[in-house]
Amino acid sequence: MARLNGPTVKALALELFDYKFSDDDAASVAHIVGAMANYSRRLHAIGLAGLQPPFGYATMRAEAARIRRNS
Amino acid sequence: MANQAELLSFDVATLGEKIRTREISPVEVTDAYLERIDEFRERLLAYITVNREDARTAARNAEAELMAGDWRGPFHGVPIALKDLCYTRGVLTTGGSKILADFVPDFDCTVWARLREAGAVLLGKLNLHEFASGATNTNPHWGTCRNPYNLERIPGGSSGGSGAAIASRTAAATIGTDTGGSIRIPAAFCGCVGMKPTWSRVSRYGVLPLADSLDHTGPITRTVRDAALMLQVIAGHDPHDSTSSTEPVPDYAANLNGDLTGVRIGIIAELLTGLSDEVALSFNAALRELRILGAAVEEVKIANIGTCSTIATNIMFAEAAEYHEQWMRTRAHEYGHDVRRMLEAGMITPAVYYVRAQRSRAAILAETLKALERFTVLVAPTAAIPAPRIDVGGRALLDSGAPVDMVASVLRFTAPFNVTGQPSLALPTGLSPNGLPLSMQIIGKPFDEATVFKVADAYERARGSIPEPKL
Repeated sequence: MARLNGPTVKALALELFDYKFSDDDAASVAHIVGAMANYSRRLHAIGLAGLQPPFGYATMRAEAARIRRNS
Repeated sequence: MANQAELLSFDVATLGEKIRTREISPVEVTDAYLERIDEFRERLLAYITVNREDARTAARNAEAELMAGDWRGPFHGVPIALKDLCYTRGVLTTGGSKILADFVPDFDCTVWARLREAGAVLLGKLNLHEFASGATNTNPHWGTCRNPYNLERIPGGSSGGSGAAIASRTAAATIGTDTGGSIRIPAAFCGCVGMKPTWSRVSRYGVLPLADSLDHTGPITRTVRDAALMLQVIAGHDPHDSTSSTEPVPDYAANLNGDLTGVRIGIIAELLTGLSDEVALSFNAALRELRILGAAVEEVKIANIGTCSTIATNIMFAEAAEYHEQWMRTRAHEYGHDVRRMLEAGMITPAVYYVRAQRSRAAILAETLKALERFTVLVAPTAAIPAPRIDVGGRALLDSGAPVDMVASVLRFTAPFNVTGQPSLALPTGLSPNGLPLSMQIIGKPFDEATVFKVADAYERARGSIPEPKL
């Protein structure tokens, strides 16, 4: 599996966000996100099959109602 | 007329009653707090804005209402302060940042609106880690807030100004916010009570977000009873905040009777590792006290609690990066280095890992709720260490001089209850041999703040008072 590195971070940030990194900053972010990715890959081990994220439809409806009240 | 020291010595419960009976005037107590703020403002840097003239006006209005027989409740005429994430109409609200250094909102956050309606007097806006994005409260724009117990130590963050204001008696009660520990960490390091309520218990309308799905707003106070009284005012559904809960708000102070008969307390086994000697000693002493009070206390395992730092970090980085994206495109240079680095990491955090972290939350909540089938509440230290030192570069350091691993020493203890959204209250257990506050947290079932307050209050009564800082 390819490792996240500074040049990759620089390219992603520029392409996706028009954001320019220095070489050193990109390397630092690559290290941080690489470590997070390693841990995140292991989250499957706690048993996530079938689990829903906490994105309830009730909140979406309530937000839409709030927007309509205020418009 | 009471002298300044006496006026500042009263907790909210006592102060509110003395104001109600007209033994003390809101004007004299507000003046006492404003004098105290002036005395320590430059040394502590707890305040970004002092609301001097408006506070005096509000105090006079509160006094006039009382003289006319109109009493609004325990916060009538009581001087409080708000973390500077909380919108206050006509009063500077900086987020601890340079980007919002001149921002004055045109509406109040719901939390302040409710406290104002309850008669509270706004002393000012409190220092914080920039945009709530850290736990040390070092701040390159507004100065690094200091710990009143030792000015070379951090107050903890991100609600460091709130914790420092309580410890230094420069506010009678304060509001903080907590995304990964930011109410409980300053409460722990500054010897205060900090209540992170259940997610959605308190409106987040008009409070600058760090990560919406992890953010909580809550009280930092001197006593458990004061925290209960403050939560009573601010809790409850808000039509402006679609995520705020419609769960009924009980009387949080109703069962503060010191009785722990039948209470079963579960010590989270996974959070007993890596503790400094003084934290371990103090925590064990607190457990002994809880047993003496009649609670059954034993260990419980929550097998995957160790994943919560990863879960919280993924969510926090991604949600914060989304909120700040527009500013980061054009004003990245105006952020502090550590905040900018977090936001940059959030920009690169894959959405897949963000969603996986969100899905993981129910699994962890299921584990803690399973533990709470056998126990009334859970307990753990609030942090593995007392307040660390600050170096000239703004880094937190252990006494050995090694940098503090904030994840291992702090976030690991607090973030799990942002992930699960359960109520968690931090309160002091004592002082270390070198005079620094030590703390434990009490964790309850969702929306059962009343039981958390009950257990915490009973312990607090038995523990007795904690020495104040020698400022």
